[in-house]
Amino acid sequence: MKRTIKYLAGAALIVALVAAMACGQEEPPAPAAVEPTAAVTPTDVMEATAAPTATEATSMDTQGGGRLDAVRARDKVICASRNDVPGYGYVDDSGNNVGFDIDLCRALAAAVLGDPNKIEIRLITAAERGPTIQSGEVDMLVRTVTWTTSRDAQWGNYAQTMFYDGQGFMVRKDLGVSSALDLGGSSVCVTLGTTTELNLQDFSNQNGLNLEVLTFEDTPAVVAAYESGQCDAFTNDRSQLAALGTGLQNRADHVILPETISEEPLGPVVPHGDDQWFDIVKTVMGILIYAEAYGVNSGNVPSAATGDTKVDRLMGLEGAFGQETLGLSETAAQDVIRAVGNYGEIYSRNLGPDGIDLPRENGRNALWANAPCQDCPKGGQIYAAPLR
Amino acid sequence: MQNPETTLPSILTYQGIPVWRHAQIIQWVAQIASAILVVALVMWFFGNMAFAIEDREIPFGFSFLGREYQTPIGEHVLPYKSSDSFLYALVVAATNTLVVAVIGVILATLLGIFIGVCRLSTNWIVSKLATVYIEFFRNVPLLIQLFFWFYIILALPRVREGYVILDGLYVNNAGISFPGPSASGTMPALVWLALVVAAVVVGVFLHHRLVRREEEIGRPSYPFVLGCVATVGIAAIAWLVLSGIFGDAPFSISMPAPEGRFGRIDGGVTVRAGMLVLLVGLVIYTSSFIAEIVRAGIQSVGRGQTEAARALGLSPMNTLRQGTFPQALRVIIPPWISQCLNLTKNSSLGGVVGYTDLTNVAITMTQTAPAINIFLMLMAAYLAMSLTWSLIGNLYNRRIGFTG
Amino acid sequence: MAAETQTPTANVLPPPRTEVGVIGWMHANLFSSRLNSALTVVSGALLLLILWYGSRWIFGTADWTVVKTVGGLFLIGSYNTELACPGQNCFWRPQGSLLMVTALLGMIWGIMGGGVARRIAILTAVVAALFAFLPYSLERMGWDVRILLLANVPATAIGWALARYTPLGQAKWAVVWGVAAFLITLVLLRGVPNVPGLQPVSVVYWGGLTLNLLLAVGGISLSLPIGIALALGRRSNLPVVKLLCVAFIEIFRGVPLITLLFMSQTLVPLAFPEDFPQNSLFRAAVVITMFSSAYMAENIRGGLQALHPGQAEAARALGLPGWQTTMLISLPQAIRNVIPAIVGQFIALFKDTSLVYIIGMVDIVEMGRVFISRPEYLGSAREMFVFLAIVFWVFTYGMSYISRRIENHLGVGQR
Repeated sequence: MKRTIKYLAGAALIVALVAAMACGQEEPPAPAAVEPTAAVTPTDVMEATAAPTATEATSMDTQGGGRLDAVRARDKVICASRNDVPGYGYVDDSGNNVGFDIDLCRALAAAVLGDPNKIEIRLITAAERGPTIQSGEVDMLVRTVTWTTSRDAQWGNYAQTMFYDGQGFMVRKDLGVSSALDLGGSSVCVTLGTTTELNLQDFSNQNGLNLEVLTFEDTPAVVAAYESGQCDAFTNDRSQLAALGTGLQNRADHVILPETISEEPLGPVVPHGDDQWFDIVKTVMGILIYAEAYGVNSGNVPSAATGDTKVDRLMGLEGAFGQETLGLSETAAQDVIRAVGNYGEIYSRNLGPDGIDLPRENGRNALWANAPCQDCPKGGQIYAAPLR
Repeated sequence: MQNPETTLPSILTYQGIPVWRHAQIIQWVAQIASAILVVALVMWFFGNMAFAIEDREIPFGFSFLGREYQTPIGEHVLPYKSSDSFLYALVVAATNTLVVAVIGVILATLLGIFIGVCRLSTNWIVSKLATVYIEFFRNVPLLIQLFFWFYIILALPRVREGYVILDGLYVNNAGISFPGPSASGTMPALVWLALVVAAVVVGVFLHHRLVRREEEIGRPSYPFVLGCVATVGIAAIAWLVLSGIFGDAPFSISMPAPEGRFGRIDGGVTVRAGMLVLLVGLVIYTSSFIAEIVRAGIQSVGRGQTEAARALGLSPMNTLRQGTFPQALRVIIPPWISQCLNLTKNSSLGGVVGYTDLTNVAITMTQTAPAINIFLMLMAAYLAMSLTWSLIGNLYNRRIGFTG
Repeated sequence: MAAETQTPTANVLPPPRTEVGVIGWMHANLFSSRLNSALTVVSGALLLLILWYGSRWIFGTADWTVVKTVGGLFLIGSYNTELACPGQNCFWRPQGSLLMVTALLGMIWGIMGGGVARRIAILTAVVAALFAFLPYSLERMGWDVRILLLANVPATAIGWALARYTPLGQAKWAVVWGVAAFLITLVLLRGVPNVPGLQPVSVVYWGGLTLNLLLAVGGISLSLPIGIALALGRRSNLPVVKLLCVAFIEIFRGVPLITLLFMSQTLVPLAFPEDFPQNSLFRAAVVITMFSSAYMAENIRGGLQALHPGQAEAARALGLPGWQTTMLISLPQAIRNVIPAIVGQFIALFKDTSLVYIIGMVDIVEMGRVFISRPEYLGSAREMFVFLAIVFWVFTYGMSYISRRIENHLGVGQR
């Protein structure tokens, strides 16, 4: 008898506690599958869209997972990103999470919900990227993710390369090393759980360098270890080497070696299983790129037809590029460019002169469209499917 | 009024008591219900997981274990190259964790005893310093302490400008190197190590017999000295014989020396900075807990015990060894085991300071292999370690007849 | 008079000078033997060395700009940013809960009637009010925010007065108010849809010290009862119950917290249907609480084991039913005996909240790490970690100080 009551009391206690904890959870349920009528929720965007469009959009959902509707019902785009790398995603003095990757998420929110601030940034570590996008908990992963085939197969769909990077090495000048091939027998610092780590191993094996690899969970530790001379070299994507290099005490004592040992195309990833959402993200990235190509920026977004057919089609003023089928409003591009600017503006704000100051002129991250002629190789590699 | 129980059909009673009031039956029904509930919950979880695996094509299965891992492991005690398999990489990582755990426990215990005794010192400064040490290090999160030590070690000079002490000890911010044994060949080294283990067994056995003899005949038989002599003697003879057979001593002393253009230290034994920081952090953090355990243990032994031992004519040393300490140990061991377990688990923070322990290798593996399976293996590995510590604690408790 | 009948005091010699006063104290405590003197010299030199270099670094070499820059972000993280709380100032929400806490402390002071409760209440109120005058990047704090901070002083006074002059001055009302304050804080921080001024703020933006404290308070108040239930379950002689409790305790105790947290982010979402409402903070809170409960269960089991069986037997002999024996006789004594261990576990839980960076929550430590990853502050890591260590130390040492006072009050170890 004694034991029974003891047990029952214990069980009741546990049940009460679980109930109490469940009450403590106040996240409003985010329904993944929404009733078709719920798609016509009166958000700014949806009001601008004609009702038939909404039903059309929902009829598309039978093929996809209905993520667009889920996002609209939630009234928020959830992106997985980071806050610890200058330029891409970091925290400014007033506590805002800003950066190139964050701006891509804001652009998506502007296109889908009409408001760039309707985003939620979920911060994840490098190693969490795969499981996070696989779990489908986030709408988009923009966290300096390198596009590789196995990740594309296992993690999610890569929408569009928004930045071309490559892995490089930084060393002290006084070591007298002029090529990464001279690094044989040295120790190299690298961040844990990244393609950087894998590329470094490949490079070491291929060239018989017998590198000693020191891995750290976070980048500040890598930089500190390198700066103090714990390791002879420091490897990362070249853009990040440049950005982090500005934090070194005597930048002039260090040099970035000429070799680029890998291809690192970076861009947003969406979960598998929803083609409509995948297409939306690709289109939004395309809008950013073509707005720059057509000379539309946040300051000169036209609200009436300009006569330039390409601009007018992009801005939804004349003709269309498939907004209806995608479930976007006619003028989604106007919202996007007004809110975050075109690709060039995002670049210069975060990675360019107003950010970590990576040169873009004549580099790979210049627009292909900026090439002086159709076939000359001066243009960069930033290019997207034409919007029409 | 009739007693309702007497009118009940026999099916509703057990031993003459209605089933809903029979303690044993209620207990069993409640137990079965809770078991069903838990099993159902677990099945629901696994069902959902299986569905997610199917639906979202999440990789699953243990076939990855045979594949090449192809990722560097920064620091490793066992030999490792990137073409080794996932399974072997996990073994290497688990060994890394075990090495830190064992060395850490030994050092933390020694330091903890020292600080604990200092805390009880009659010297005011010493006891206050020990108090400050304990109160500071056990009240600050280990994560912060590890980062702090990480930056302290970085402040040491770099390899090429490092300290060299007596030509054998190299101290720099990449680690500490000192002379160590180097096996001349796998075969002689293994044979000799096996013989040394045998020698230790013989020594312990001898010690045991001599102690019993001492108790029987009442005259000193020097069990400790003779046991040691036996062990060392067998090991030495084995060394000489093996040297004769193989033409070379099983082990030679390897001296560390800077090599190559980057001046990395080669030879000897090198404790790299990552392991060093992790060890320093873990040892200091854990020793502050052990110090308190030791203090409580010593204080738990009544003053009368010491006085009685002295009255019997035991020397102060023997009083501590045979009187106070064995009694204090009964109080010290259970929480000490718990600290050992904590130290082992806390070594999973090694990744932040550049030590590749089991958790960090496992997390890296989830990049290229199914996360679910890796976490299952990781949990199993840690549970095995923690159960080993519990087993040691239980064995000790049984030996000293700890009741409860 | 009694004094006059005693021997004249003139004949009593004063104790030798080496036995009294400063010299006597030094002789007894520092130089009682040769070994002791050597120890004094060595440890004294060590102490001076640490003090000399430490103060030189703190006041000279160290550059504390990074700490000033982060300033208010240490306290609330990114809670009051444009993304989290668009178009309005949300600083007042965590501050409102701080006001409730100071009022609660005032109440406890009123109930306990001084002593350590008074000191803590006054200290908290004054420190909170002083924040109003700190220049550390609180530019988003308008004058209203400063007034709210200053209001902590009257809040303490009101709490004290309520406890003193109204029937609310009972421990049970303080407990009720404490629970209410915690729940109101959650609602306040989370927000209520469609209520002006209280628009919802996603939990991913909860951060800073507020997050550490919330997780710690929630975890502490839940892990004790769960731990008690588990400890009783483990000692039960019902095999299934015992098995379940043992399995729970060993699994949560055997695996490192960071592994558990990592799994809570990557595996647990898979274990629920896709449309199941979840959030990462809730999962983290559950994992931390479960982890702590397993340890708590072992502590309480230790207390129950140490209890003399005669206690329970005597209670049974008096005719108390089993559950009353447990609740009124065994448990209170067991818990009283293991108060140090329980408080130690509370402290451990608070320290463990610094690991939530694993799941992307920006607590006070992570906020510091985020800032030292910016190029301009890469060199300020030591300053940052020293600062964070001091912040944690203040809270944890405070907790162990209070626990020692409670132990003295209950006379633990003095029977």
